[in-house]
Amino acid sequence: MRKATWYMYAVAIFFAFFFLVPTIYIIFSAFKPMAELFSTNPTFIPRNWTFDNFTNALNRGNFSLYIFNTFLVAISSTVIAVIINTMAGYALSKFRFKGENVIMLLILSTIMLPLEVIMVPIFSVLRFFGLYNSLWALIIPPAATPTGIFLMRQYLLTIPDEVIQSARIDGASEWRIFWSIILPNAKPAIATLSIFSFMWRWNDYVWPLIAINSPRKYTLQLAIANFSGEFGIDYNSIIAMSALAMIPMLIVFIIFQRQFVQGTVESGMKG
Amino acid sequence: MKRIFSLVVAVLLVFSLGACNKEQEVKELQMLWWSDGTEGAVMQTLLTQYETATGIKIELVEIPYADYEARLATMISGGESPTLARVTEGHLNNFKNQIVSLKGVYDSSGFTNLFYNEANEVISLPMDITANGLFVNTELLAKYDVNYPKLGDPVWTWDEFEVEMNKLRAGVGSDVNFPGVFDPQAHRFFPMIYQHGTKIWNTPYSASNLTSAPAVKALTRLVNFYQGDLIDDAVFAGSNAAALFRTGAYGFHMSGNWNVSSYQDLDFDWEVVPMPKDANRATILGGKSMAAFKNSKAEKEATDFIAWLAKGENHDKFTGGVPYLTPRLGANVDYGAFADNYAVFLDEIAATDASYVQDWLTQVMIPGMYPMINEAIRKAAAAEATPLEVLTELETLLKDTMK
Repeated sequence: MRKATWYMYAVAIFFAFFFLVPTIYIIFSAFKPMAELFSTNPTFIPRNWTFDNFTNALNRGNFSLYIFNTFLVAISSTVIAVIINTMAGYALSKFRFKGENVIMLLILSTIMLPLEVIMVPIFSVLRFFGLYNSLWALIIPPAATPTGIFLMRQYLLTIPDEVIQSARIDGASEWRIFWSIILPNAKPAIATLSIFSFMWRWNDYVWPLIAINSPRKYTLQLAIANFSGEFGIDYNSIIAMSALAMIPMLIVFIIFQRQFVQGTVESGMKG
Repeated sequence: MKRIFSLVVAVLLVFSLGACNKEQEVKELQMLWWSDGTEGAVMQTLLTQYETATGIKIELVEIPYADYEARLATMISGGESPTLARVTEGHLNNFKNQIVSLKGVYDSSGFTNLFYNEANEVISLPMDITANGLFVNTELLAKYDVNYPKLGDPVWTWDEFEVEMNKLRAGVGSDVNFPGVFDPQAHRFFPMIYQHGTKIWNTPYSASNLTSAPAVKALTRLVNFYQGDLIDDAVFAGSNAAALFRTGAYGFHMSGNWNVSSYQDLDFDWEVVPMPKDANRATILGGKSMAAFKNSKAEKEATDFIAWLAKGENHDKFTGGVPYLTPRLGANVDYGAFADNYAVFLDEIAATDASYVQDWLTQVMIPGMYPMINEAIRKAAAAEATPLEVLTELETLLKDTMK
């Protein structure tokens, strides 16, 4: 691999700056009082630091419960997503059967349907299965995603068929091949899928809005959105809680960043 | 890898048990709600009181206002109608066929701002009425020597208002961002139509006055305010007018009584002053109601609660607690520390001709009329069309909708 040169670093830093500035601005703004937040002469760093935005927001709702619910949903859904999408990706990449391309096409075509279009039918299905107003409603339906299946399929295509055939000749069962060969080799893609899935569920707003009807089951994004009314929007609380909500995503990314980059490059996925 | 996988499956199982943990099988009603200020907390105290009195628990489900209607529509279409919901006149209009009739549930003759279904049966309990009003930053106005009337003084005209507020331009670039800001909604423009001496409808939905000289004059005046930088047009780009006024860099905010409670934490002095007039004084009323929905499986419990809430002592606890202007006729609500500001709103309502109130009630029954009017005002303010062109187009749209 070619060594990175100084100008490549310069370009990377230049773009990183543009992506990071809004995020850092949000974090600093979380510590600004209302008057400063809407000041006609805004400053990047707060002139008067305050924690009031955090305390006021935390006092207005049961945020420890909302954070717990969001973790529960994001982790459970990610685990299910990894299992289902890896199996589906494996089947679609390594098994030849009638209609495999049609199935792949059908799966991919669902990407083109926005949630808003299929909201009412999915809502009816949820009701039918008794999942409405249950955290399962946030965990199960979004677990098998077409993007996840596509990501895993593309990555698993890079594993040579000969490796699998050798295992079969050695007498390994299909489960054994999946557990002992496919999963260890798919670690980078699994890490990528895990980060994406966790991020999707952590930031999900529209689906929890529809599927949950009890404040005790609210997720963080839903609770944050409640700071906006008909006539007034509590920007200070929204910004403070949005800044807090970034932390888990950062931790997940820091843990998996090496595998995330590798998986993204090798599967041809982009965020 | 196998160990990692086993671990995550174990984690999943543990979490699943938590997720599976079903709610206790206690029958519990739910009330959809959104909050602009303290009204959710006030309603919660009433719900707690109701639970103590009857043993029936009603859970307040707060939903972001921007998605409130979509949520209601999905619930109704999906067969999970809410038991109770806080609703606007727009919601009542859009969902009136799914709302339970409240005929005989409470004495509607004791309330104003009532809404009816096609069988002419009342379908909601009015919970508050809103009225437009003018908030001023008295510190900023004093600094720039801006004169303004107080309650009981002769009411200023729009021309006088413009002259006085223009004095604030001296501070632009230092402590004034714009002299003032208007909420961009239809509700804030239409009082100007009435104040300029005309009504929207001559004959409801067929003959309109929207292209008459007074109506054009009203919109032209507003457009000149925007284009002359007397008021900030950032509201059309999504800025919240109340948030702008909160900065202390605006001399006035044309808004409504709901800001009286939410402005209590401002770090500058402010008050509500009479709105300017042209030919007349006028405001328009809005408001929120409580409605019960069909197919909720708890219609009886819902109407029982509404009957309880309609009782004077309970209803006044809500309107006085927030506080809100009360729709309960003859009620003597104690507005406490807000009494002076509320007196201005009550004076605006008293000075409004009843025919204007009726005209606006006719108007709000047009489905989707708010987005139409909001867009018309935006187009005129952005000089994409003249006030006359915009009003002509709006008139056609409103009539076509009701054909």
